[in-house]
Amino acid sequence: MDLELSDEQSWLAESVGALLARTPASHAWDALLEFGALSIGRGADDLGAVELALIARAIGERLATVPFLSGAAARYAVGAELAVGERDTIALALLEPGLGWDLERPTTIIDDDADGPMRVDGEKAPVEGAGNAAALLVLAGDGDGRRLALVSTGQPGVTIVPGASIDGTLTVERVALTGAIARADGVLARDRSEAGLQRLLMVGAMLSAAEAVGAASAVLALARDYAGERKQFGRAIGSFQALRHLLADMYVKETSAWSTVLFAAAALEDELEDARQTAHVAKAYASRATLDIAHGALQVFGGIAFTEEHPAHTYLRRIVVRGRDFGGARHHERAIGRVLAHADRVQEVVA
Amino acid sequence: MNLRATEEEAQLRAEVRAFLADECPAPESLPHGLDERMAFLREWQRRCYEAGYVGRAWPAEFGGGGRPPVEQVIVDEELAAAGAPEFPNIVGLDVIGPSLLTFGDDEQRHRYIPEILSAQEIWCQGFSEPEAGSDLASLRTRAEEREDHFVLTGQKTWNSWGQYARWCGVLARTEGPETRHRGISFLVVDMESPGVEVRPVTQITGHAEFCELFLEEVAVPKANLLGERGWGWKIALHTLAHERGTAALPRQVKLRTWVDRLAADGRERTSGGRPILDHEDAQVAVARAYINVEVLRHHAARTVGRFLNGQPVGPESSTVKLVMAEAEQRVTKAALDVLGETLESPQAGMERANDLWHEDYLFSRTATVLGGTEQIQRNIIADRILRLPQE
Repeated sequence: MDLELSDEQSWLAESVGALLARTPASHAWDALLEFGALSIGRGADDLGAVELALIARAIGERLATVPFLSGAAARYAVGAELAVGERDTIALALLEPGLGWDLERPTTIIDDDADGPMRVDGEKAPVEGAGNAAALLVLAGDGDGRRLALVSTGQPGVTIVPGASIDGTLTVERVALTGAIARADGVLARDRSEAGLQRLLMVGAMLSAAEAVGAASAVLALARDYAGERKQFGRAIGSFQALRHLLADMYVKETSAWSTVLFAAAALEDELEDARQTAHVAKAYASRATLDIAHGALQVFGGIAFTEEHPAHTYLRRIVVRGRDFGGARHHERAIGRVLAHADRVQEVVA
Repeated sequence: MNLRATEEEAQLRAEVRAFLADECPAPESLPHGLDERMAFLREWQRRCYEAGYVGRAWPAEFGGGGRPPVEQVIVDEELAAAGAPEFPNIVGLDVIGPSLLTFGDDEQRHRYIPEILSAQEIWCQGFSEPEAGSDLASLRTRAEEREDHFVLTGQKTWNSWGQYARWCGVLARTEGPETRHRGISFLVVDMESPGVEVRPVTQITGHAEFCELFLEEVAVPKANLLGERGWGWKIALHTLAHERGTAALPRQVKLRTWVDRLAADGRERTSGGRPILDHEDAQVAVARAYINVEVLRHHAARTVGRFLNGQPVGPESSTVKLVMAEAEQRVTKAALDVLGETLESPQAGMERANDLWHEDYLFSRTATVLGGTEQIQRNIIADRILRLPQE
């Protein structure tokens, strides 16, 4: 048991940060792939959940627009069982209009045609990054249960319609599947689908929280610097107690959110019994904390933050989106609440 | 970062769990009266110390376990899981003890540390004064140096467990008032000395856990000076960092048991003909309390866990303190919100539980005051972590 980052993990975090800092945005994804950001699996040198969290945080800090989150989550959850190309860009087609993050009864259907390939019909939305994805990881019902299936884009049965996100650097699409053909060896059996989906939701919640914490730490640093420079009433505004305390609270939220995200990552990686609860805790807490930080930053910047050219709103937008990916705070609080309502003791669930 | 237990750690966890299964007192077995409860809890701490679970990371030569700090984290987690009561020598273990380890000479450490660990001698803390609260450096208690002793005169307040304490860590001014924090020294005062008077103060909880301390020309041997003359402020910062930081790890033990109790009461009590905890809003309120307690555990373990051996803790302790206060207040506030009118229920059998919730709730309001107010913690973070311009 080691409660701190190892030297290798610290090195990784620094390296990815430096890489994203020196690489032009248009080449960021190639550079990350080259670095090995999707080397995920069971090999000794492969990245584990903690390393993925460090990468997600670095992406958040720089607001990089790269298809890391969906690709990393899919590979971490089901990559060992589904044939995912090494550099395939993957989008997660889990949600449907009217279906919450419980994902309990997808109306998208996967049909096991005895003679031919499996076909998928339904509507998936919102799907982040569908327009640039080589394949969609689709959640569908087979009549008896839920299945995860890889569906290549660029086939007649897949229609992608652009949608709008509050974060304009990301694309969010609607996907219509009409007899779309699942990849051969691209459909998980029912029990494996259930296990894979649970793992996908855990790692996705953790990674989206990590990215949000990265964005929050970056906007906090900007707000802190601004408070040290901007003068009103003849003094730096960061010398006023009202702002000092606001910034201190923002820091507490950032550092504690990062602590819980790291614990969630380590619990997942080490397959602890409480991994699922810890993922709920991390996502619920980090969603609220990072949004508070972004709101606080806009307050510190004052009027200038409401101009489009000022960067503050770009962090806020990313934080809003990552806050609700894989379920917002209320979703995860409800999930924990249901467990507490039925367990005899908290510890029976978590220890 | 790796939560997987080594073989040794897994063995320790199993061993602690087995010990607690046999030995851990049930919450209802705790005596209600303060004197009886104190005696009961001292015995509980002694048994845990003898089993090797108190001060596990403290140096072995002074009676500690000499083990890596992470083992104490494991022990604390198991104590929490078992719903164990808090140890009574909190001030000795989590507040003053680390400073004795760091600044004490060998004689002092041999004299005091083992008795802290076994709860043979209870400690209290003589820092705050009626006129020196948040502005601690303005304290007025004076220690005049004579041949082989100091003569101590002044008044201290908020001395938790002062009426049970054998020793008090006192901050006193050894130089003139103009020296502010540079003129303060740290003295270990024998509470049995002539001139020491302790007056318990009844708190809003109805208990009298803390006291006023009157010091009237108390003779304190020079051997009881911790560190050097004038080191008091430096030592106090070290003490407070532990009180705010590492103390959170044992503290979350208690908060976990509160969440458990809240969930249990919420399942047993009814509202609108259904168990309270069948209602989704109640579930979410309890969940949010649980989340804060879990985040406290994660954050304290990551930022200050390695200092459970008494080593100096930095300003990150102030972030732990704020997370801890929020967790504590959220749990008790959730209890009042969720249990609602049942807390005034005349139903037989609930009175004791209701009293306890009201007590915990009222006590939790101190969480943002004791050990330095939350405003002071924010000042520390603004100055020492964010390096914002001074006010």
